[in-house]
Order: sequence, then structure tokens, then C-alpha cells
Amino acid sequence: MRTYLIDSENSEYIIDLTKTVQHSSKLVEYEFCTVTENKVVNKESIFIRKLAGNYYCSDDNKAWKKIARQHIPRRLLNVDQVLKVYRGFKPSGLSGGASGELLTQMPGKVVKINIEVGQVVKKGECVLILEAMKMENEIKTSVEGSVKAIHVSEGDALDSGVLMVEIE
Amino acid sequence: MSIRLEEIKPKRVMIVNRGEIASRVAKACRELGHTSVGLWTDNEPDAAHLEYCDEWVHLEGNGNAETYLDMAKLVALAKENNIDGVHPGYGFLSENGNFSTMLSEAGIIFIGPHNEAIKVMGDKATSKALARDAGVPVVPGTSEAVPTVKKALEVAEEIGYPILLKAVAGGGGRGMRACISPEEVQKNFEAVVRESTAAFGNGDLLVEKLIVNPHHIEVQIMADKKGNVYHFFERECSIQRRHQKIIEEAPSPFIGEDEELRRDICETAVKLARSVKYDSAGTVEFIMGEDKKFYFLEMNTRIQVEHPITEEITGVDLIICMIQSAFGDDLQIPSQEWIKKTGHAIECRICAEDPITMLPSPGVVTGFETNFPQGVRFDHCLYRGLEVTPDFDPMVGKLVAKGLVRDVAIRKMKAALAGLYIEGLKNNIPLHKVVMDDPVFNEGGYTTNYITDTAPQERIDKSIDFVSIYRKLAAAEARNMGM
Repeated sequence: MRTYLIDSENSEYIIDLTKTVQHSSKLVEYEFCTVTENKVVNKESIFIRKLAGNYYCSDDNKAWKKIARQHIPRRLLNVDQVLKVYRGFKPSGLSGGASGELLTQMPGKVVKINIEVGQVVKKGECVLILEAMKMENEIKTSVEGSVKAIHVSEGDALDSGVLMVEIE
Repeated sequence: MSIRLEEIKPKRVMIVNRGEIASRVAKACRELGHTSVGLWTDNEPDAAHLEYCDEWVHLEGNGNAETYLDMAKLVALAKENNIDGVHPGYGFLSENGNFSTMLSEAGIIFIGPHNEAIKVMGDKATSKALARDAGVPVVPGTSEAVPTVKKALEVAEEIGYPILLKAVAGGGGRGMRACISPEEVQKNFEAVVRESTAAFGNGDLLVEKLIVNPHHIEVQIMADKKGNVYHFFERECSIQRRHQKIIEEAPSPFIGEDEELRRDICETAVKLARSVKYDSAGTVEFIMGEDKKFYFLEMNTRIQVEHPITEEITGVDLIICMIQSAFGDDLQIPSQEWIKKTGHAIECRICAEDPITMLPSPGVVTGFETNFPQGVRFDHCLYRGLEVTPDFDPMVGKLVAKGLVRDVAIRKMKAALAGLYIEGLKNNIPLHKVVMDDPVFNEGGYTTNYITDTAPQERIDKSIDFVSIYRKLAAAEARNMGM
């Protein structure tokens, strides 16, 4: 899973979640890295442990620090910057979700639908265009298959997390 | 000596405020057995302070002008709800003599000082005149406009250099110029007249003694209706930005071990309070120069934001005293000698603002947790999902740490700041962290010029910390996975 962080000057930081290991129901290990100029840097493992209803994090599974629990954040704070967070896609619309279910990642309006039910689509094909944050975003599929269902029509205003298209 | 608690007749107290102070007052009401009535407005339906209020009343309206500042509406609401007393908190109507008059005409007690004290102290000129009459030192200078350079030079000679040429109509640092010699008065007089005529349409000037390297030191007062006036020692509030305090401590590190000076300033404050027959919680503010001479600035006739540090070093609940005094109940303070200070307390105001520019920054709190050391108090109104809007003050909490000595209080504050996690909302925690590590702050000799002179905001590390971002993303992923 790729996350794009965009600061107020429109600088972009790309963070990849490269590995998820669920050690137990209370302990998960994640591996993150940052992609800068197509190079992978700052590769780090982060352990998350749930303890007494709170979340703790660790870099080494030994030393733990409490962390404020958040929903998948749309914005992340770094001192004097509130970074916009785009999980799995960025506003210019480079990639889609990992499964055959395409969900909106932020509220937007369907501008154009490029597919029909039953059509076979290739990986990376633009299936529809969503206008969000005053930008047109190409929503591309990351799987290959045939379109099973289209749940939206052109002109629809959608909340985030709405299922738009199913591909199988 | 032991004091038996008198039985108190339960009252109905309406809290005309919001945020952390409304919670604070509600807690005090509950402890005393009074019923607290909290308000919520249309622009804050999720008013977190209601958590501690026994009854919730809808105060219709959106902006402050039609809610917490609408006196007629508030008095009507109080009558409708059979309210015995109204606590105004700080800000809003807390120092509004008309509001307290309207309440008393409606037969409702204003939990604060009597009208006359509010009115006299609320006016800069009358409060200074009253202080002079009571033998309380005020900053030497003229109270009326100085018409000529000649007269200005005479006054300057009398009060001693350096002096300040100050526009009568000025404010916020404009229309002022410091002069260290007669030559400078000669040179600047006409310039300040011209400037203030241009800026304020009024060229009248005052001559005032310039206090070099000033400290803002204030004394907490508590009084009852029987004529008892007590002081609760001093607080130093010299760390300010835009003339607003951000860090306060009690006792003052500048007064330090000088018990004679401490007694002097505290007794002066009591003297002033007595002169207006003060009967509630109040604060007498002084400016103290590097020569340790102090002068009366103003008296705040309300509970102040920074009251917790005084409560921490004296162990007295000031809000409870205020309510007791208003209803004519005993303060349960045997004598001034019973009020002792122990240790040292520091308060950091946690504000929704950019830590570098120090400008308010509204937003939504997406995550909030605490992990504090022993000995820390956090008066706040934060919760995950809180939306800080431009409608209200950006202060969202007050972090207070106490230790037997100042260094311990600083150590605890550092640990507390490291254990205060606020996500999604820009806040000044990074600024407080830099100040707590700053050598000038640690020496304790800082003045009101501290922020301007040492610019701690420029030492905040702004670089993107990837590991900390990974941690936040990881925790969100874990939560998303249903862990």
C-alpha cells in the first residue's frame, strides 16, 4: 500500500507499506519505506501492540511508546505542517486500490465513466474520472478482469469510502 | 486547629462559559453539592464541558454576540431555570459590571466581586487613581497630557531616565518611544506627536518611567463578604506573545528567595483589594523592573486562566472559595498564616496555533492520548473528533507540573509534554518543548521580552520525521485491521 503525503507547498512524500506481519491478535509488524527519486530510503519496521485499549508502537519489539489512536488519517501533523494524506492513490490519480473493488478515497463527483458491465479491463486502465478537490482524478484499476458491477453514474456526488466499481 | 465543614444549602449554579473552565467550575459545584447547569450553543453542539455538568441547557445562537455575550438572553435563561448563582469563568462577561448588575436586579448572585469593584478596576484611569490613594505604587509619570517639550523635560527630570513618550490614544506598542536622555526627548517629542496625530487623530502625549527588563508578576487574592482578604502568593507570567501569556509559574523565579520582597508585593496587593472591599477571587498585576521595584498595572476581577499553578503550590481550591464567598459561605481558611506555599508549579498553555508563527490554526483533533509522569495536572477540553473553530479562543488545555523545587517542575513538564499526544491539529507543544530546554528559561531570569529576545520558535526542528510518520500510519493501519 502506497501513501502520498503532500505538504502545503505541494511537495510530495511517497511512503510504501511493504510488509505486514500479524504476529497475534494484539501484535502487528509493519515495514515502511520512503520512495525518493525512485530510490527506497528510510526502511523501518514498526510494531504496533494493543494494550488495555491503547495503541503502543515500537521500532524493535522491545521499547514501547504510547501513540494517539487515529482513524486512517486524512491529515498528519508534523510540527508546523499539516500534511494531506492520500492512501493508495494521489489526487493526480496514478493508482487504484489493490482489490477488484474500487472505493472512493475522498469525497468527489463522478465526471466520466469509461467502462460498461461485462467489459474486460486491463491492469492500469482508467475506469472512471472523479472530480475531487477541484482536480480531475483518473481512477485506475490495479487488477485485470471483467467489470461485474457499476454502482455509480455520471454526475453522482460521492462520500469517501463508496464502492464505485467491482471487477472480478 | 481543625475546621468542621458547615452544611451548605444546595444551590443551582449556571456556568456562563465553555471549554476547560466550564468543566473546572462544574467539578467544583459537584463537590460542594450544588447543581451545575451547563450551556451549549448551536455552533458547539458537542460541548465537551457538559460531561461534568448536572443539567444541560440550550443557549440558542451561533456567534458569541448572540450566545455567551448576550446578557439579556442569559439573564432570562437563568430566571427560567431557577438559577441561584451564575459563574462567568474568564473572558466573555466575567468582568462586565452591567451583567452583574442585571443579574442582581433579577435576584441572581454573580459569582465574582461586587459591581463597584468590577467597575472601578475595569477602568485604567480610575484604578490607577485608586491605587495611588491606597498608597500602592504606580508607574511614575503624568496622568494628563504633556503639552510641550519643556514640560516633558521637567517631568523626565523628576521621575528619572529612561522614560517613555506615549500617545494617550496609543496601544499595542504603537505611538511609543523610549528616551534615555534629555537630548532624545528633544529629538523625539515632535515625532511622536506627529505619529500619533497621524495614527490616532490625537497628538496628546504622556511621559512615563520606562521599566527596563520588566517582569509581569501578579498576586492571587481571595476575599469573602465578611472582610477577610487573603493572598495566595505570586505568579510570574513574563512569557508572553501578542501580549498574551503562554507560560506561567508560581512562585516567581525572579523574586526567588527574597521573602521580604515577596511579603511586600503580596501585602501591597491585599492593601489594594481591601481598599475596594474586595469579596471574591481576583488578581493584582504588577510590573517589576530589574531593580526589583514594582508598580501596579491593573486588577483582574475574575478567576484567571493560570489559577491552577497557585492551587498546586497552596493546595487551596480557588474556584470552590469563589463559590463559597458568593453564597456567603465560609471559605474554610482559618488565617493568612494557614496559607503556605510548597514547591514550584509551571503551566504551559496548550493552544491550537502554529508553533512557529504563533497564529491560531483551527482544525480537527484526529487523535488524543496522554502518558503523564506523576504530579501533572491537565485541565482541558480535548477529545478525539474535537473541532477547534475560529469562533472561540485557541487555548484547548493547560498543562501544569509541580515539583518541590523549580528544576523538578521543569523536568516533570518536559516529561509531560513528551507524553501529550495531539494529532491532526497544529499546536504549540513543540514551542513549549524548546522553552523547557532553553538555558535562559532554566536560569529563571527571563523578562517579558523573552519571546522577542530569545526567539525559541526559531529553534523548533521542522524537518519531517519519517519514523514518527511511519508510527502514526502503522497505528492507523492496525486500527483499520480491526486490532
